[in-house]
Amino acid sequence: MAQPRALPAEGDQPDRWEAQLRKGALEMAALASLWRGRLYGLEIIRFLESNSQLVLGEGTIYPILTRLKAEGLLSSEWVEAEAGHPRKYYQLTEAGRERLRRMAEAWTSFAGGLSRLLEPVLGKQEEVK
Amino acid sequence: MTTEMQIDSYLTALRLHLGPLTIAEREEIVREIGAHVRDSAEETGASVETVLERLGPAEELARQYRDGLLIRQASRSFSPLTLLRATLRLATKGVFGFVVFFLGVFGYAIGGGLVLTALMKPILPGNTGLWLENGHVLRSGVLFPPPGPPAHEVLGMWYIVVALVVGSVLLLFTTWAIRNALRISQRWQARL
Repeated sequence: MAQPRALPAEGDQPDRWEAQLRKGALEMAALASLWRGRLYGLEIIRFLESNSQLVLGEGTIYPILTRLKAEGLLSSEWVEAEAGHPRKYYQLTEAGRERLRRMAEAWTSFAGGLSRLLEPVLGKQEEVK
Repeated sequence: MTTEMQIDSYLTALRLHLGPLTIAEREEIVREIGAHVRDSAEETGASVETVLERLGPAEELARQYRDGLLIRQASRSFSPLTLLRATLRLATKGVFGFVVFFLGVFGYAIGGGLVLTALMKPILPGNTGLWLENGHVLRSGVLFPPPGPPAHEVLGMWYIVVALVVGSVLLLFTTWAIRNALRISQRWQARL
């Protein structure tokens, strides 16, 4: 008789795996959103939504920004806005630009290699259809 | 409840759960989240209630801040207390963290214990030492009463040197290992 499994194995949770993947990429995405200039938190969220498929829980990005700043990859300043309250703008530091450049290279070669590896998988699926 | 009261009560809860961070870090976070709530409500026309819902519970948001900052700070710290606290947080996240926490406690307990017994040797010379029986290690440490014949203490006052050196090496090694484990964990799931 098959024992009921108390905990599903890691491989049984593609959704969770995808969530992990997205989360892991967020740090790079947050840095990338600042490549062209300074933005504040809500702008970063909107930028990522409109330029990629990264739809974030609104609370997700702020702890990441705080950590990236603590690591010296971002700097921030409070700027008075018309809204009546100041906003915290983030900007890449020199170290942040350098890190992002290296991340982009590593990511592109990694993703390229994986895509080639996955080509037959996706190709076969189309044949079956 | 007015919208300002709603925001204030959320920020108060956030501040409360950010306890372990410094006041400056905490106030910066609270100020930023406050600005976000006002901006987001204004921009989307959504109610403050909806915006707060999208942010998630204050406790959960604070946890994300704490995890990232505490583990990062700890990975640069040399204080056993800070390091163990960070590994305890790591231990709630999976097997790796649990093993690191367990080995950390083990390493500090044995290392600290050895150093302590080295300090006890001059005070309780007869009760402190390393006893052998038929060529095998029987016991070591501070013992009441000390083991009697045929077991015999072999190190004498050298026990101080040996226990100090071995204990210190163990403490240093444990510190080094935990700091590295925290750095590794930062690069994986633990940071998010």
